[in-house]
Amino acid sequence: MLELAPMIETDKLTKRFGAVTAVDSVDMRIHGPGIVGFLGPNGAGKTTTMRLLTGFLPMTDGRAVVAGHDVFEEPQQVKAKVGYLPEAPPLYPELTVGEYLRFVAEIRGVPTARRLAQVGEVMERTGLRGWEDRLTGSLSKGYRQRVGLAQALVHDPPLLILDEPTSGLDPAQLVNIRKLILDLAADRTVVLSTHVLPEVERLCSRVILIHEGRLVGDGTIEELAEDVGAGPWLELVVSGAPDDISAALASVDAVDSVRRLSRETYRITGDAADGVAARVRQEGWQLKALIPHQASLQEVFVSLVGGVA
Amino acid sequence: MNPPGFARSTLAIFKKEMRVFFLSPAAYAFVAVALFLGGIFFYMGIALSGEASLRPMMSNLGVTLIFCLPLVTMRQLAEETRAGTLELLLTSPIPIGALIFGKWLAAMALCAVLLVSTAPYPAILYVLGDPDLGVLFTSYLGLFACCAAFTAAGLFASSLTRDQMVAGVGGVLLVLPFWLVSAIRDVLPEGAQLAADRLSFLAHLRSFAGGVIDTGDIAWFAGFTFVFLFLTWRSLESRRWR
Repeated sequence: MLELAPMIETDKLTKRFGAVTAVDSVDMRIHGPGIVGFLGPNGAGKTTTMRLLTGFLPMTDGRAVVAGHDVFEEPQQVKAKVGYLPEAPPLYPELTVGEYLRFVAEIRGVPTARRLAQVGEVMERTGLRGWEDRLTGSLSKGYRQRVGLAQALVHDPPLLILDEPTSGLDPAQLVNIRKLILDLAADRTVVLSTHVLPEVERLCSRVILIHEGRLVGDGTIEELAEDVGAGPWLELVVSGAPDDISAALASVDAVDSVRRLSRETYRITGDAADGVAARVRQEGWQLKALIPHQASLQEVFVSLVGGVA
Repeated sequence: MNPPGFARSTLAIFKKEMRVFFLSPAAYAFVAVALFLGGIFFYMGIALSGEASLRPMMSNLGVTLIFCLPLVTMRQLAEETRAGTLELLLTSPIPIGALIFGKWLAAMALCAVLLVSTAPYPAILYVLGDPDLGVLFTSYLGLFACCAAFTAAGLFASSLTRDQMVAGVGGVLLVLPFWLVSAIRDVLPEGAQLAADRLSFLAHLRSFAGGVIDTGDIAWFAGFTFVFLFLTWRSLESRRWR
């Protein structure tokens, strides 16, 4: 595959509000297509970073190149190539879904001749067919979110920036919106901010973790887990063994580390399931369970951010 | 996708504003209140002066506009800020200047609707007397100039806050000094009286009402409008930097 220019590239991107540094020297490169999870505790600077990338806020220092254009030098070019859904969908309650989307298409520069077709297409894609004449002010939260996504898509941008698109949705709406986002990411780059970790595990090919305005993690979930020692692990439950068998387990081939979690439960890292099972049998202990666990984003998050997710 | 140009952006904003105006009570409230007050002043003007012209009522109409126009402008930017739709507009590839100009044009279109709906006044004058058409025309031109200036000030007030009520009161307060200065004119020393006449919008409106189109008066209203539209632009720009 061709080495393409990154969709987003920042160099020491910094934003200060008075004495508060909301975004602090963030360097990142994001290539498309696919979904990048933008992760961090509340107040970490996620929304501010997104506002910098979309040109809504000017940066205090540093540089950002989005979709091939410098955000500071050519904001109009960047804005024409980015679809942005703020945390609350920016709707005009007086307008119908159709009127609203046609207006957004117009201010995003969709040529008159293509406007109707384009609006029809995004309505189809976001499951809004038949909702054209409904007032946006009368929609449920899930449908408001759909209209929000539709407005971000209406000019067919190569980059979508979505700020917590699933917050406050009920489980059925969640499934729908997630499916839609996955579908959209097939042919474009999606940056998705959230603090719902399972969502990131399910959707994102890559994670960017920020904390107190700084970038603290960048990579696939597996890579990040590797970095903080939260890779795949085995949960061993054994009975009929002496009080602490950590030492015995640690001596098994391919075991990297052993930690006792409770009286009969151990946490083992290393690709050692067979060896551990054999050892337990050999010692005459009772193997009650040996469960492989995936790298957990939860642990990555806690160890990089240090707080509770 | 290429960014839309200035004219197309302005038109898009203008159309959206007009739709929102007529789908919300503000436009109707504005026209109704202004026509009600205008009707009272029209009756009083004729009854007291017996003159077949708008001249006796012009000052009152101008002052009415000070209090009614903020009904139109107060929501224009404050509500966009409060509802978060300003984020939509400012992350769209439209120039900020086009955003402000489109909104101002929409407010002016509403003023045009108001002035057109006062058509019965000159019609009545025409039936009852023999008004000078030229003077009628310049009178309307003067009122329209007032609208241009006051909506610009109202738009500026609306850009400063997310609260419509504050924006409305602010819109009145910004223009009020340019009226009150005529009220204190007579107690001022002579040199200051001249300055007061320069500042007062009523003094400039008066020559329109007298049938005179003076470039100085036109420049006064145009300058007033331009300064406040410029300040609105600065206000939106600078808010992003805070």
